[in-house]
Amino acid sequence: MNEDRFPGHKILPYLLIAPSLIVIFVFLIIPFAQSVYESFYMSSPFGTHSIFIGLRNYLRLFASQDYRSSVITTFKFSAFVIIVGLSVSLGIAQLLNQKIKGVGFYQLALIWTYAISPTVAGVIWASMFAPATGLISYVVSKISGYSLNWMTNGNLALLIVAAAATWKMLGYNIIFFLAGLQNVPDEFLEAAQIDGAGSWKAFWKITFPLLSPTTSFLLFVNMLYAFFQVFGLIDIMTKGGPGNATELLVYKLYRDGFIHLNTGSASAQSFIIFFVISIVAIFQLRIATRKSVYSR
Amino acid sequence: MNFKKSYFIVLLLTVFLLCSTGNVMAEPVEVTFWHAMSGSRLGVLESIIDGFNEANPDYKVVPLFTGSYAETLTKYIAAYPSGTGPNIVQVYEVGTQTMIDSGAITPVYEIPGMLGETWDWAQYVIPITNYYSVNGNLWSMPFNSSTAMLYYNKDLFKEAGLDPNKPPTTWKEMEEIGDKFLASGVIDHVYSTGWPDWIFEQALSIHNHLYSDNDNGRSGLSTEVVFNDDFGQMIFETWTRLHDKGIYIFGGSEYAPNTAFNSGQIAMLIQSTSSLAGIISAADFEVGTSFYPRFDGYPVGNSVIGGGSLWVTKGQNEEELRGVWEFFKYLSREDIAIQWHKGTGYFPVSLGALKTLLDEGWFSQDQAYLTAFLQILSGRRDTAAATGVRLGPFVAMREDFVSSLEKSLAGQLSPEDALNEAAEKMNQKLEDYLELYGQ
Amino acid sequence: MSKLNRKAKGQIVIHFILIMLVITLAFPVFFAIVTSTLSLQESYQYPPKLLPGDQFMNNLREAWGRINMGRLFFNSTFISIVVAVVKTILALLAAFAYTHFKFRGQGLLFSICMITQMLPLPVRIIPTYQLMAGFNWINSYYALMVPFFASTTGLILFRQFYLTVPRDLPDAARVDGASPMRYFMQILVPISKTNIAALFVIEFIFMWSQYLWPLIVTTTQEMRVIQIGIKMLLASEQIAPEWNVIMAATVIAMLPPLIVLIAFRKSFVQGIAMQTAK
Repeated sequence: MNEDRFPGHKILPYLLIAPSLIVIFVFLIIPFAQSVYESFYMSSPFGTHSIFIGLRNYLRLFASQDYRSSVITTFKFSAFVIIVGLSVSLGIAQLLNQKIKGVGFYQLALIWTYAISPTVAGVIWASMFAPATGLISYVVSKISGYSLNWMTNGNLALLIVAAAATWKMLGYNIIFFLAGLQNVPDEFLEAAQIDGAGSWKAFWKITFPLLSPTTSFLLFVNMLYAFFQVFGLIDIMTKGGPGNATELLVYKLYRDGFIHLNTGSASAQSFIIFFVISIVAIFQLRIATRKSVYSR
Repeated sequence: MNFKKSYFIVLLLTVFLLCSTGNVMAEPVEVTFWHAMSGSRLGVLESIIDGFNEANPDYKVVPLFTGSYAETLTKYIAAYPSGTGPNIVQVYEVGTQTMIDSGAITPVYEIPGMLGETWDWAQYVIPITNYYSVNGNLWSMPFNSSTAMLYYNKDLFKEAGLDPNKPPTTWKEMEEIGDKFLASGVIDHVYSTGWPDWIFEQALSIHNHLYSDNDNGRSGLSTEVVFNDDFGQMIFETWTRLHDKGIYIFGGSEYAPNTAFNSGQIAMLIQSTSSLAGIISAADFEVGTSFYPRFDGYPVGNSVIGGGSLWVTKGQNEEELRGVWEFFKYLSREDIAIQWHKGTGYFPVSLGALKTLLDEGWFSQDQAYLTAFLQILSGRRDTAAATGVRLGPFVAMREDFVSSLEKSLAGQLSPEDALNEAAEKMNQKLEDYLELYGQ
Repeated sequence: MSKLNRKAKGQIVIHFILIMLVITLAFPVFFAIVTSTLSLQESYQYPPKLLPGDQFMNNLREAWGRINMGRLFFNSTFISIVVAVVKTILALLAAFAYTHFKFRGQGLLFSICMITQMLPLPVRIIPTYQLMAGFNWINSYYALMVPFFASTTGLILFRQFYLTVPRDLPDAARVDGASPMRYFMQILVPISKTNIAALFVIEFIFMWSQYLWPLIVTTTQEMRVIQIGIKMLLASEQIAPEWNVIMAATVIAMLPPLIVLIAFRKSFVQGIAMQTAK
């Protein structure tokens, strides 16, 4: 239904959407437009001086090794969170989808990580992986003699924060995958079984394609998560270090804007992130509407 | 009869009115003060402020802990346009140029004149006031000043067979003692430092070497850094060599060198003098202090002042400004300066306080506190190189520096290349700053 | 092997794997809880202890006092509930408008709402912050809450659901002479209960987890939130982190979102299932 069910009420719909729109315009759209505007300027911290510099902020960023390194770091981080996160959750959801006793209990026992905030996840994992004194570091050094010190090993640091971030998001992914799996009609799978296809093949040829709206949705959400919501986790665990091994784009943005007081560059960075997200969003929208042809 | 009654009532009411407005007029003038003092320093600060408020019922200083230095400055900048900022704000020393160029503050040296008072600026310790002065005039009130010195673990020295009363005084000795420590197997690494960028600045100023041109940014905005010469390279090479040998450990920005030192994992620490009180209480060994190590045969300068100072927001009314100034005068009192020093380890800024401390034998009780003083008092105070550098985009530049140092330590770049890479990035920021301020 | 036997064996395997997963997933939190019950020395012992101690109340008291945790807790709870409620209301109203009416600019306005999905806070953080300063909202509940009042998740959720409402429902109401708002309040909202609960869970958890925005927009202790409080417990240059105290605060900070999730679990899962089914 998407038609006029209450003809004659011309003003009411506008009144209904007004509050949301006001908030959206005042707090989202206008600040964003302002951010784009400021990205073309170089400004002093106190705003007393401001020079128009065109695309210089952007060009500097692309030429900057630090920025490129941050892009790569963010890419690696997001890839881990998305690939590992979605695969593991899908596997778990598949298990949960079997007809077994106590599904309700297992479901709750596996989705609760969604309620953990990234900050809390960061604190716990930071403690577990504290060099020398942390539980995991200790166990690893006792077993293999290898000393886990993320403070001197950038790749290790990135791995640990990625693992912490993924862990926290598992609950959310599982819920959605489970819902998506439950929407796969049994008849399809039974038909495949009758046709002699093994469960592995059935999964890839039938289940997975039917899951694609869910998968692409989760891909988008996990990407938003990895790009933006893990700020607290990074600030607690590594503050972008060692060096800038875990300096995600959002963290670099914060540092440049709020610590170095370089609003122009930070605004340019904001816009670049927005641009990347938009591309992915459009892409995801395409997939979601295209693949729906295959669903019932 | 009626007339008299109503007359009396009106009189009573008027008296009431006068009394209540009198009360309103007696309300203390509030002076808000945003600061970044946390931990034990907060307690000392609050007790000093309580003391002031008690002694000056006309004024009320209201302190607000607004986070780290960076957070405090950011919040101050945000509050400035709407005029909702504090009367006084504490800014770290690297933000000095930013504050000078902000247009948001009243330089401190102008305040007595604005209030019709005079003040003796010579009562302060010169190396400290030099840092915060422009053309000989003090722009911000020195408050929590520290410098860098060498801490060492006397017990570990004994354990490794070294004389606990002979700490290294030169970098050559640092290396020799470092070698001996490693050979003894007592510890894995020998020393670490506080923020390497600051420690590097110290290394330059101790030898009277400029960090940037235009007299370290004091006779005009700097246009480029000048430390990437042979001398700077020698420092980088020395540190890289010590790192390769395992003597120097640099654990990155998240590494807590103080913790490592306090727990006996390393034997020496080059760190801010303001860590002294904390280290002495946390360490369960005998703590020794000594001067920042030198390179033999090079000129003598002075160690740099670090920490923060107090800035006064522009456009306050006379009452508030008087409150601010009374508070500053209170902080300059000998007894208060001594209280601040003894509680935190920061330098007392007044010479009088210093003299009293010497007289009462405070330093002979615990030698450690004296080292910091001797270091800045025995050094030069007449050159820009020994006064410390002042740069606009200092915070960002320091990060460029550290990242290049890390590359040198990790062997990704030669010390020379790393130094030049840092210089290049830092110079670009200086150029931007100049462009922005129209020069 | 009979089919039944094979099935039973399969079941056991699945149960076993699931239990292992549950344990692995829960381990970090288990570790956190144990650490929160240890004394400082115990928390630094080698090997690290895995059995709970008895210091929880002490640690909690310590954390409570250090960061004024009661106030922080209140702030987080207050803003999470208010924002979740307001977001839900605004989304309900907007979804109602987009699905039950035809009005000019409908498509465009809806697309604008959708675009805001791509404008998470960091993308506009500095101007929004300057806006807060301009309104003189810095360090107030307004700054903490108002920028979050619009929700695309809610709009999508409710709109999706309302599209499936058979048109007899509003038609019958109209014939009965009910005004649209009456229909909304008495019919539409009640049948949306599941989705409302689901959205509440999502938005409460989202708001509770906020870190960057409260970090920059609050200046005093009274206005901070529990996530920042935890960060403050960690920050210290001189001493190594006191994990036992930190974990005590962390454990408490974990509870409200967990409670919300568990309490509304059924609706939450159902709401999402409704979303995914086309």
